[in-house]
Amino acid sequence: MRSFTHINAQTIEEVCSLLEKYKGKAALNAGGTDLLGVLKDEILPDYPEVVINIKTIAGLDSITESKRGFTIGSLVKLSDIANSPLIKERYPVLAEAARSVATPQIRNAATIGGNLCQDVRCWYYRYPRHIGGPIQCLRKGSGPCLAVRGDNRYHAIMEGKKCFAVCPSDTAVALAALDATIHVVGPEGSRNIAIDDFFGPLSNAIRPNEIVKEIAVPALSSSTNQKYIKFTLRKPVDFAIVSVASVVAMENGVCTDARIALGAVAPGPVRARTAEDMLKGKAVSETSVAAAAELALSVAKPLSMNSYKIEIAKTLIKRALLGGDECQ
Amino acid sequence: MATKKRNQKREPVFKAQVVNLTVNGQVHALEMGSGPGDIEPFHTLSHTLRETLGLTGTKISCDNGACGACTVLIDGKAMLSCMTLTIECDGKNVTTIEGLGDPKTGMVDTLQQSFIDHTAFQCGFCTPGMIMSAKALLSENPSPTEEEVKEGLSGNFCRCISHYHVVKAVLAASEK
Amino acid sequence: MKDKYRFIGKVVPRLDASEIVAGRAKFLNDIKLQDMLYGKVLRSPYPHALIKKVDKKKALKLPGVKAILTWEDVPDWKGGTPRYTRILDHKVRYVGDAVALVAATNEEIAKEALRLIEVDYEVLPAVFDMEKALEPDAPQLYDEFPGNIVTPGVPFFGPKSLQDVVMGDTEKGFAEADIITEGTFGYENIPNPLPPEPPGAIGLWEEPNKLTLWVSNQASYMDKITLFHVMGRKVEVRSIGGPCGGSFGSKFMSWQVQTYAALLSKATGKPVKLVFTKEEHLAAFTVRPSSRMRARVGMKKDGTVTAVSGQWLIDTGYYSMTTQSQVAVGCGEVQIMVRCPNWDLKPVIVCTNRNASGIVRGFGGQELKCILIPLLSLAMEKLDIDPFEFLKKHYVKPGDGYFWRDGIWYTYRGVDYSPAMDKGAEAFCWKEKWKGWLTPTSIHGSKQRGVGVGVHGNADIGEDASEAYVRLHPDGTAMLFSCVTEHGTGQRSNYAKMVAEVLQLPLENVSITPSDSLINPYEFGPAGSRGTYAIGSAVIRAAEDAKKKLFELMAPKFQTEPGDLDTSDGMVFVRDNPEKKIAWKGMSIDRTITGFGRFEPDYTLTNCMMSFVEVEVDTETGKVDLVNVVNATDAGKIIDPQGLEGQLNGCLGSAGIDSAIFEETILDRSSGHTLNANMIDYKWRTFSELPVIKNVVLETPFPSHRFHAVGIGEVATSPGPSAVLMAVSNAIGVWLHEYPVTPEKVLKALGKISSRNQKGGTQ
Repeated sequence: MRSFTHINAQTIEEVCSLLEKYKGKAALNAGGTDLLGVLKDEILPDYPEVVINIKTIAGLDSITESKRGFTIGSLVKLSDIANSPLIKERYPVLAEAARSVATPQIRNAATIGGNLCQDVRCWYYRYPRHIGGPIQCLRKGSGPCLAVRGDNRYHAIMEGKKCFAVCPSDTAVALAALDATIHVVGPEGSRNIAIDDFFGPLSNAIRPNEIVKEIAVPALSSSTNQKYIKFTLRKPVDFAIVSVASVVAMENGVCTDARIALGAVAPGPVRARTAEDMLKGKAVSETSVAAAAELALSVAKPLSMNSYKIEIAKTLIKRALLGGDECQ
Repeated sequence: MATKKRNQKREPVFKAQVVNLTVNGQVHALEMGSGPGDIEPFHTLSHTLRETLGLTGTKISCDNGACGACTVLIDGKAMLSCMTLTIECDGKNVTTIEGLGDPKTGMVDTLQQSFIDHTAFQCGFCTPGMIMSAKALLSENPSPTEEEVKEGLSGNFCRCISHYHVVKAVLAASEK
Repeated sequence: MKDKYRFIGKVVPRLDASEIVAGRAKFLNDIKLQDMLYGKVLRSPYPHALIKKVDKKKALKLPGVKAILTWEDVPDWKGGTPRYTRILDHKVRYVGDAVALVAATNEEIAKEALRLIEVDYEVLPAVFDMEKALEPDAPQLYDEFPGNIVTPGVPFFGPKSLQDVVMGDTEKGFAEADIITEGTFGYENIPNPLPPEPPGAIGLWEEPNKLTLWVSNQASYMDKITLFHVMGRKVEVRSIGGPCGGSFGSKFMSWQVQTYAALLSKATGKPVKLVFTKEEHLAAFTVRPSSRMRARVGMKKDGTVTAVSGQWLIDTGYYSMTTQSQVAVGCGEVQIMVRCPNWDLKPVIVCTNRNASGIVRGFGGQELKCILIPLLSLAMEKLDIDPFEFLKKHYVKPGDGYFWRDGIWYTYRGVDYSPAMDKGAEAFCWKEKWKGWLTPTSIHGSKQRGVGVGVHGNADIGEDASEAYVRLHPDGTAMLFSCVTEHGTGQRSNYAKMVAEVLQLPLENVSITPSDSLINPYEFGPAGSRGTYAIGSAVIRAAEDAKKKLFELMAPKFQTEPGDLDTSDGMVFVRDNPEKKIAWKGMSIDRTITGFGRFEPDYTLTNCMMSFVEVEVDTETGKVDLVNVVNATDAGKIIDPQGLEGQLNGCLGSAGIDSAIFEETILDRSSGHTLNANMIDYKWRTFSELPVIKNVVLETPFPSHRFHAVGIGEVATSPGPSAVLMAVSNAIGVWLHEYPVTPEKVLKALGKISSRNQKGGTQ
């Protein structure tokens, strides 16, 4: 890696003031599993002057429960989320999503904040400098998107605009199904960003001098069936090709509430709200679920090589809601 | 180590001037700097272990967190040393492949012996990382099922396909 | 029959086991020399361009930079076949091609220097498809290769080196056929054998024309020979090999990284280490050749193949290292697999603007089988012929002949593999699982299972020459001199076993020299499964020669003939009167005894592996899971059971079976970038999804050497891919002919996605 100055931050306030001081030339390091790869491959036009270690900030690594739900500190490791008795019991969709990430070693280091804020995996975007790159593009400031006319088999089938890379985060999909809010802190104070508003085609909603402090998940009003299904070519290591998180409440065989979030199909997780509305008040059957899946994917606008994701997404919705053949 | 004189530069002072790292039971006070034997902020733990401390048992294969060859134990957890900055390891306890067994007698430990008995390697390049992942698994789960062994090692790349022998070796070591 | 061996066939810990599990084995990047510098390569962003100007002023000013070399600074050293590919050229021919070399006091400084080098390019049009490259107005990669056709060069295997398979009368053959099928088939996913250890080298000039190289390879002696030729036959090269972190053939092509290290060492006067990153390994180092065939096949109702004719196009990337030899061997191997009297198969090797293809386990035969078996399957399907019976019927039998790679006709004198194949079919339950072509074995909900079978074998198990010395010492120990590196097969230990067996010495009393070309005799290297028979023969003969010399020396002391003597555990004794014994010390302590053994090439024996595979296809997602694999072979005599099993399990590695499921090098064919040059996007088999593998190994004594064994490792990867294609096609009832069978391809075949016209797509 190229050189940088390294600072162990002690408080959030210190981080915010450092971010302001270095004006875009500082990077935050939590688990390091994304940042170090970005730095080693030198994919970005600017290389940070400063790397700020935020693992040295106290108080960001706990899971706390209250009547309103629970909060997860941004530094909580994915392995701890996957193994947390509280989350496994009450919010298994999130535990499964965390458990599905990468490999055991990565999960021991990676944090949920980092998982949400990680950069995209578009292979044009990520093309390393030292083998004839980097490749310039709109996401990096300027340049054509090579994926649109190139190999876009893993790119977005909806909501892409200027950039068609998908959000690679598994926990984001589960949190979308749980209606989570992301609590960020900046020099001007703190604010909550609904997960629906957090992701966008060219960047996420965090302002330059802000840092994610914690994620709040509202309590569920009743017992629910929850599932996270991740479709990949291989079980470990791979990012999702398509994933689905579902949280469904039933009463007397009728669906009272359905939340279906699609992952790896767009720049952020996509709540299939029309499909959810369609299911509410109905029995969950093969017919109703198939119709819901059809509706959920009706807005898809695939690129030249990724229309197969539509069929897989429909299958995952069906399997999440009906059970049956698992993908992993 | 003698403290070196440092040129005054207009950079912020490092928060850490010395990184105290325990490796295989031995404490190292690694100085920050750019001289030989010093640690730079961008040095990964795998670089420090191999180049600064001469412990070349830990291998670098992809150097990007995707293959597990560089796996070491940090405070007992299996971690990727190539994706860990040494400067962030102050106070940590690291175990590498060289830390298993008895250095005085050269005797290997039970897990290593099981790898020998089952020829759970072919070219041997992925083996140190494989053994460290298995070590972490067995310390958290002393009697894993075959599925649990496979999941515990799911982050380790082997191209010769020693997998089947490795699973046997780890299960055999776990019953003891 | 009771096994009379003390070591052969016994499970014995590998000699290097302790150092491997303790992390003491020193691979190339673990070596550190005094004053060593680190090398890095600046690589081209364009697939095809002229280098107009290189400005290295800024980079040279960087403290710690010791040398920067471009094409203008280096001698006109060339590699490849023919030898036209310059070590550094004024033209770049693929994204990632070398533009400049830097040596610095550490890697980070070298990388910083790369950033500071300014290069002006004149971009040229590029070509990525092998047929487009043959068109008259295609961009030309080399002046020396008109039409981008790579010529044979100096024939690898002699003046009649096999360049095609032509025999008999195909017109007549087609007329006799009950059915003729034809089509275009490809194996074009260019998988990477991807050993874990990246390629690298350390170079140090001892004298103006003497170079020492530390290498990571299967065949360190061959590195010496290759580089001697690359360097214009003016440099004496000493090549020192150590433990090699996997090669699978690919590191035979290390001449570039080795020459880069050598050039930087010459320029700086210091040892220089240059190790590729994994990204360079994936984007700028050996990948499999890409193959496309347009062919016809004539077949009779009983499965006799009456004619095969067609064109076999091979895309070798931007140059050929040894592709002509892979074509030669592929042409030979196909005759071993299919007994047909009438052939007209014409290979054409083409160069395109991508990373170079080269030596990979399977060596041309895998590439050809992956496209020929699907074509044969079309005919088998029409005639309702069981593919297992077909492959068994056709596989070379004792007395059958074939043109091998040197264009000479050989008669097979080995063992009939049919019993091994039958045992394999039985272990796999082939009869129960085979339901007919394009018919699933079973259906459970959305999951459908199918089976397939493939076979591969080569007559290179006795290829090329090997030499060895065995030196006996008065203290009752022996040393084997052999330039063999350990790259995963365990063969170094197996040779020690062979020496120990011949001399009846405890295994710990046998050692092997380092793989240093300076001190060892000629060794082609363990490749093509020749280790057991070819190298083994040299080793055995050396041990026997040493033993003979020992007896000749000691006989007078016993007052008997040398033929009456035997030895065990460092004691020579009279066979009929073992009480009369003298320790080896009796040779005198100021003496050693050295035996010599040499193996001359023998192409009359082949090996064989048949692979049965069962897949499960999820028809709602397109995912293909590999569920069961059975590998069946006959090894003559198993030298090391665990080592052999490891080799057979290796069918899942080195761009083998999984090249049909998820392995591919993904090239953007408009920009020329290798998009998946990393260990997440290049897919490899993990612990989580291991199929059940059963290995069936018969031991029918071969007329090979003292232990009647033959080698098997190299062919393990090759039967699998076409078997998977067959199995998936059978599972879903639709032919799939493209590798790999991704979910998208399966869903398309099932009619579950509408294929949209793509504008400017990369496929």
